[in-house]
Amino acid sequence: MNPAALLRRVTGLVATLFAASFVIFAAVYAAPGDPAVFLAGGRDKLTPERLAEVRAQYHLDEPLIEQYGRWLWDTAHLDLGRSFKYSDQVADLIASRLPTTLELVAYATLLYVVLGVGAGILAAVKRSTWVDSAVVGGTTLFASVPSFVAAIALVSFFGVKLDWFPVTGAGEGLAGTVHHLTLPALSLALGALAIISRVTRQAMADAAASDHVEAARASGVPERDIVRRHVLRNALGPIVTMCGLVMAGMLAGTVVVETAFGISGIGSLLVNAINTHDFPVAQAVLLLMVTGYVVVTTLVDLAHPLLDPRVKEVRTA
Amino acid sequence: MTTARRGKPTARAALTALTATALLAATGCAGADRPAGGTALLDASRLKLDATTPAAASPLKRANWLLEDEPDSLDLDTGGSSAGRVVLTNVCERLYQLQPDMTTKPFLARRATTSADGRKLTLTIRDGVTFHDGTKLTADDVLWSLKRHAADGMEQSDEFGNVASMRKTGPDEVTVRFTRPDAVFAKALAGDAGIVWNRRQVEKSGKEYGTPGRPDACSGPYELASWKSGDSLTLRAYDGYWGKKPLTREVVFRWAADSAFVNALRTGAADGAYAESPNTAAALLADKDLKQYYGPSTASLVLIPTDRGGLADPRIRRALSLALDRKGIAESGFGGLVQPWATPVGSGAWGYEKTAFAAAQKELSDYAPASPTDADIERAKRLVKAADPGTDPVVIGTDATQGRAVIANATRAALQSIGVRAEIRTVPTSQFEEFYSDPAARSDIDVLVGDWYISKADPMGFYKNGKSDSPNNWAGFKDAAYDRKVTEALGTLDDTERSALAIDVQRAFVKSAVWIGIAQVPTILVLDRGLTGPTASQAYLYYPWAAGLGARKDPS
Repeated sequence: MNPAALLRRVTGLVATLFAASFVIFAAVYAAPGDPAVFLAGGRDKLTPERLAEVRAQYHLDEPLIEQYGRWLWDTAHLDLGRSFKYSDQVADLIASRLPTTLELVAYATLLYVVLGVGAGILAAVKRSTWVDSAVVGGTTLFASVPSFVAAIALVSFFGVKLDWFPVTGAGEGLAGTVHHLTLPALSLALGALAIISRVTRQAMADAAASDHVEAARASGVPERDIVRRHVLRNALGPIVTMCGLVMAGMLAGTVVVETAFGISGIGSLLVNAINTHDFPVAQAVLLLMVTGYVVVTTLVDLAHPLLDPRVKEVRTA
Repeated sequence: MTTARRGKPTARAALTALTATALLAATGCAGADRPAGGTALLDASRLKLDATTPAAASPLKRANWLLEDEPDSLDLDTGGSSAGRVVLTNVCERLYQLQPDMTTKPFLARRATTSADGRKLTLTIRDGVTFHDGTKLTADDVLWSLKRHAADGMEQSDEFGNVASMRKTGPDEVTVRFTRPDAVFAKALAGDAGIVWNRRQVEKSGKEYGTPGRPDACSGPYELASWKSGDSLTLRAYDGYWGKKPLTREVVFRWAADSAFVNALRTGAADGAYAESPNTAAALLADKDLKQYYGPSTASLVLIPTDRGGLADPRIRRALSLALDRKGIAESGFGGLVQPWATPVGSGAWGYEKTAFAAAQKELSDYAPASPTDADIERAKRLVKAADPGTDPVVIGTDATQGRAVIANATRAALQSIGVRAEIRTVPTSQFEEFYSDPAARSDIDVLVGDWYISKADPMGFYKNGKSDSPNNWAGFKDAAYDRKVTEALGTLDDTERSALAIDVQRAFVKSAVWIGIAQVPTILVLDRGLTGPTASQAYLYYPWAAGLGARKDPS
């Protein structure tokens, strides 16, 4: 990529984040409920004087734009402020929880890539057989189950009834983490199976219909090699793109599953922050999620031409 | 940017709603709160409250304890969620100590003497106490801590309203002088206003004091071994402790909410927990590996009338109190784990003169029957007729949580049964607390489905809410004699005299139904059958409950 294009991308990224930060700030500000109530400490202390004192202390009595300016100024100096609820630094709170969420998303990604792409390939190869119908039907069924229902069902069956998996926490060490995060990752991955397998199946079908695959078939190349070397390779572009998009979405979608499994990640941090009007935390976590989404989708965008030579030709033409 | 909006708070609400479904699946019974047959698991009127659990017989290497939330801060002067308190009460000690039976006694102050006029309290500091960094606890630490608690904006500063001065008056002596006698000050010193901090440690950590990764600054039986933010918090028995050594070497705290909380206890991932919500405990009743203990607490479920509509008239309020089916609420809304109760203060508030308070409580049940009889309904109807409630419906403010929704519906049913129209207004949970803080939010409701607790074991700590100038007196109750008696009681140091005044004041409060008591909410301890020892009363927030935790019998 030439420097001008790179500059264009980076500027676009910064502009997106800047706009997002303001929208998020305004949304958090406009959310119903009064943070001062939570900051005053105890219901017997909710006198108008005490509330006014708290509002002044946390600058909650200033107009939105002034509060936003203050936040932006601090953030530009790499200071995300302190949580209202925990008196801890927001950066510390996020740093201690982010790894858990990333592990969870990585594990879920691994599951849906392996299972989803595998099922998609299977459906494409066995096209129009009962296998194909079973894959399409099964994954559609999984996709229609909301992740919190899946979470609750998995917990009560594999966790509580069979006692195979722990039901709360994120575990320690590699084995412990895998053991603890299997059910949550599965709940996250189930919904993504349908779209991934569907995209894989379709991309394979398109690639299989191309001229050089026909030519390869005619020249007697074994079917297995055709699938692996020609069909799958040409289908990789859309598959990787879709996997990337789903993963980006997951970064912001762990909230429900984390709550159901009692995992302290940034998802449950966000829910609690919103429920207790912890502005600095909600703001920082949401912005982090947006950043994660934008960065991952940008990377997918950049990787696309590398995977699919045809895209490159169009771009440089 | 659609994904950024996915983190909606409704996720949790939906989850809570589904918790019941999960429990249903997990327990194999028809619903978490009401098993098939429509009766509660426990008979609410027979709930027995006990302040202690049987003493433990043998030591324990490690206990896994569960909290409903991560502590927000371990500096109780600036933060103060109950999760933080449940942990810290094993780590920090106070000048007085609240006992499991809710009485208080001098503690880090080995002696406390009050002058004859009640305006001077002399505290003699216990010798031989060391902080967890090995340094000696001195009168200087005590004075510095008291001044920190009293500073503007600190959580406990309001407890020091009558304090004129605090000085060190001897090598091991601190003297507090008052502008007027203050009967609840000593009780406040058994709470967070009496914690003695290690000044050096607090100052060393500065702004970061109380956040993860900082040492504690206390002298209790346990020291803070580690706090991994977002993961767990570990306490370890302090070897240099001056008092009785705890039985359990290590207590590891983790936290989970809603269904995850229930599942962690069901699967044995956690050994025990204090359940803040009766519904959570009700979901665990069927589990044979767990034992539940119910202890006295000050907490209660209440209806808080406003002066907006028909309930501004005390006769209508009294009629509502007569017609309310408290037993029905307790059983269908709370699994029978709360007890029908005539006052807004739970029995855990009786930190003195228990017998007198218990007798007074019995007398008041005429105003607040557990299940209204036909005669009660007749009386209520007569009161309504005499008062003429007008034609506007009474608006009941609530949120959608299960227990409150049940109370709101029962309140509406009670009003309609005595000829008063009523409707329910439901707000999001995130807005609910504003009813307490914001008169504007209350301006469109006539009665709030509320709950309340007090931190000190003295009913007078509650009844000041009925004074005509109190921000918590929403119904516009005005009674000069009442105001005078409250002020008098708060300055009466003699327990017997104060209890007589408190009982008078309580009667007036209940008679006028300034607030309407529904049920008292006990402290609920859920514990693995193999363990015993922690306190079961509300004292668990201020008394080192983990120091008594141990195994039930010798494992050998």
